[in-house]
Amino acid sequence: MSTQKEKDRLELLQGTLDLLILRTLIFGPQHGQGIGRAIQQTSQDELLVEHGALYPALQRLEERGWIVAEWGTSANNRKARFYTLTAAGRKQLVRETTRWRRLATAIGRVLGPEARKG
Amino acid sequence: MFWRKRKQTDFVAEIEAHLELETERLKEQGLNEEEARMAARRAFGNVTRAEERFYEAGRWMWWDHLKQDLRFGLRTLRKNPGFTAAAVLTLALGVGANTTIFSLINATLLKPLPFPHPDRLVLVWETSGKGHDNWNSVSAPNFWDFQLQSKSFEGIAIFDFGRGYNLSPAGTKQEAEQVSGLRASAGFFSVLGVKPFLGRTFLPEEETLGKDHEVILSYGLWKRRYGGDPALVGRTITIDGQDFTVVGVMPRQPQWQFWNSSQLWVPIGYTKTDYERDWNSFVAIGRLKPGVTMAQARAEMGAIANRLAQEYPTEDADMGAWVVPLGEFGREDLRTALLAMFVAVGFVLLIACVNVANLMLARGATRQKELAIRSALGAGRVRIARQLLTESLLVGLLGGAAGLLLATWSSQLLFNVFRLDHLHLPGQELDSIPIDSRVFGFALLVSCLTGVLFGLAPAFSALRRDVNGPLKEGGRESSQGSRLRHALVASEVALALVVLCGAGLMIKSLARLLGVDPGLDPKNVLTMQMSLPQEEAYNGPPGLPQFCQDLDAHVGSIPGLTSVSAVGDLPFEGNDTRGFVVEGQPAPEPGHLPGAGYGVACPDYFMTMGIPLLAGREFAHADTLSSPGVIVINETMARRFWPKENPIGRAIRFGGTSGPRLTVIGVVGDVRYLGLDARVRPQFFRPYTQAAWPVMNVVVRARTDPSTYTVVVKKALAEFLPDRPASGVETMEDIVRDSTGSRRLPMLLLSGFALFALVLAAVGIAGVVGFSVTQRTREIGLRMALGARATGVLGLVVGRTMKWALVGMVVGITGSMGLARLLSGLLYDVRPTDPRVLGAVTLLLAAIALLAAYLPARRASKIDPIAALRCE
Repeated sequence: MSTQKEKDRLELLQGTLDLLILRTLIFGPQHGQGIGRAIQQTSQDELLVEHGALYPALQRLEERGWIVAEWGTSANNRKARFYTLTAAGRKQLVRETTRWRRLATAIGRVLGPEARKG
Repeated sequence: MFWRKRKQTDFVAEIEAHLELETERLKEQGLNEEEARMAARRAFGNVTRAEERFYEAGRWMWWDHLKQDLRFGLRTLRKNPGFTAAAVLTLALGVGANTTIFSLINATLLKPLPFPHPDRLVLVWETSGKGHDNWNSVSAPNFWDFQLQSKSFEGIAIFDFGRGYNLSPAGTKQEAEQVSGLRASAGFFSVLGVKPFLGRTFLPEEETLGKDHEVILSYGLWKRRYGGDPALVGRTITIDGQDFTVVGVMPRQPQWQFWNSSQLWVPIGYTKTDYERDWNSFVAIGRLKPGVTMAQARAEMGAIANRLAQEYPTEDADMGAWVVPLGEFGREDLRTALLAMFVAVGFVLLIACVNVANLMLARGATRQKELAIRSALGAGRVRIARQLLTESLLVGLLGGAAGLLLATWSSQLLFNVFRLDHLHLPGQELDSIPIDSRVFGFALLVSCLTGVLFGLAPAFSALRRDVNGPLKEGGRESSQGSRLRHALVASEVALALVVLCGAGLMIKSLARLLGVDPGLDPKNVLTMQMSLPQEEAYNGPPGLPQFCQDLDAHVGSIPGLTSVSAVGDLPFEGNDTRGFVVEGQPAPEPGHLPGAGYGVACPDYFMTMGIPLLAGREFAHADTLSSPGVIVINETMARRFWPKENPIGRAIRFGGTSGPRLTVIGVVGDVRYLGLDARVRPQFFRPYTQAAWPVMNVVVRARTDPSTYTVVVKKALAEFLPDRPASGVETMEDIVRDSTGSRRLPMLLLSGFALFALVLAAVGIAGVVGFSVTQRTREIGLRMALGARATGVLGLVVGRTMKWALVGMVVGITGSMGLARLLSGLLYDVRPTDPRVLGAVTLLLAAIALLAAYLPARRASKIDPIAALRCE
């Protein structure tokens, strides 16, 4: 994990972190550190998630009722707070995914063929 | 969700767990413990910031901030007791004065009359000529026509102006007592919408003379004099020596008072003269049908009056009608005065705001470093501005609370000093000035508004502030800051000028008014009222022909009194008008009988009152029913009707060509019977020994303070009229003073406000200039080091201040025209644009501004250039 590589990573666009968290939780309950790692891995290390930003986001999602949390024990037997997607969270995920796809397609169209080359 | 909110500690524990997990993972990748821990922390970013963000996401953040700001604000205020005291005191006086005036408005103009649907109650007046300025009371026959023909009213009734009624003692324990009461038509109570507490109201048949010996008592009188005995209803009591059956008692709630504190009501019992269409002696009161507007009622009544004028060209010549809401009648002067004072006091508060804003700005400058450090430490500009605004609001509320306290005390003081319970507001009795929720709300609103108002300037300047500037040594004042301060000077001068102008005009009016010759000598004269028996109250022979003689015999013998007499209406308290024909002059057209003010007096009246006798003689006891009818006229009447002739020995026909012949026996000096501020009009008197009058005012002149004679005079009167106690004791000096009452209160208050405004403006200007000099110490030092002389510096500072003061004066003069127009109804013999008042006020203010600028400027001119340059 070189410093050079970290600099190349993409910073998250405003509002996308929530979407990624919800998406990650679709596979089952997970704690904060696990969510962060999962996002990084799934994006093949392209996305930079500042771990510190994760927790206020989780807090926000919890307050909106999209996820619920409970203290539990991790695989390696450590205490951690596990987050689970709620029914409302699922609905929100579908809504947000659709919206995001439409947005990405639209931006892709505007940017045109060059974008594909680069 | 608030109750499920996570605790901060839980959040911190979660972050801790995250760091542990991450360290674990990194160790698995081959890093050692120390490296893994560092890397985990690095990947996490700013832990404290994450915690802060969690905290800020809380929904009660603003409350936390408010608590913080309040705590911080209170601490800052405590640390600067001088500033706090100055600001709070200034605002307390400003808010206090405003709240006091508002409490007066609240108690008089905003309080609804104590009747159901009071907005539908109206008074109907007859008018003569064009417009409605010349309104007059209504005659019974005209009222009957109004009642028959109008469709606007649910009901309409009449009552007379009231008089004192004598209650005879019922047992040995009671004393005779005079209470005020009035005659009312049968519909009177139902028009007002008041149901009796006990018994019934009057029946239509009781309006006929002879069947009118019923009486309705007020709750207060029933409780006080008759011990609240329910069995009193149906019994007889003796009033003016005649038996009256008590048929009802009025309720206590709402406070039921009407017209001159009446305590009893008797049926109207129309007398012979009441049937005359030009005998205008009643007040008509109506209740509009729901949905009928004032304009509709006015149009309808106007049309009816015009028809009557054509039908009865002699009695109702030029007659019109005017309808006014009961809640507005008799309150015009009060409304004008209160409105003018409200405006003036609002301006005073604005000046106070400007002063406090300046204090805040000056303090803001000394706090620049503190604020800069806070923003360097991460406080947002909005957050700082908000904190400053919270501080201003705190100062405003503290000032407001002190102001409210001040108002509870000062409104009571005003009530007592100006005897506001004597204020005659039709349909309403003023017994106190309550500080109710409305007044409280007003004070709260005003303090918040002022807090925001004077807090805006410092808050805005915090929003614009450059973070680095103040931290550097010797930051100079910005041109923006000095512009703001100059604007403060100009606005203080403008506001003060408006208030001063209002006060100046009122003072000049009152001085003019007090300079008016009353035409009599009020010193050492005492008056008291008695009501006399009368078959026909205002016509026919006197009820007690020997009254004047008895008065002379019993009261005249009291040692220390120099003379004794009696008169119908006292000077300045208004009087009646009577028509007549001058003998030997062409007869007037029908309906255009010449008229003059009319009064009835006992012998020696003019001597007792100190009214000079210019020609002929006064009334004497020898003028009786068996001797020729006589009159005494005033100078104006003599000049009007007998120009270039000696009126003595000439005669008039009283009430018309066929009326009794009355010979002029004397001419006396003019007195303004309708009030000190009214025009002098022709006036004539008949002797009581020849003409009836129901209420006589006993007048005595003493050698010393007349009020000490009250008891002896009353006792002497009781010797010959035991059933008719005297009431309404007043010295003539009080009566003269009360005649200027409607102007005295606004004048004194406006002068007080003006003085306050002047002091505030002076302090404010001195503060602004002083602060600016402090800020520019280095610049001035530099100028002086470069050769500027002390006088030059003085001129620079004073000149700039005066330039802005001048701008303020121009604005102020324009503004004062508005206030003056508002005041014009209260002015006497002074035009609203009186150039002398305006000039004097402007000069005074210029002098004050000059002085206020000079003192700090002199300090500037004494700056030691070396010290000034070194001190930074």
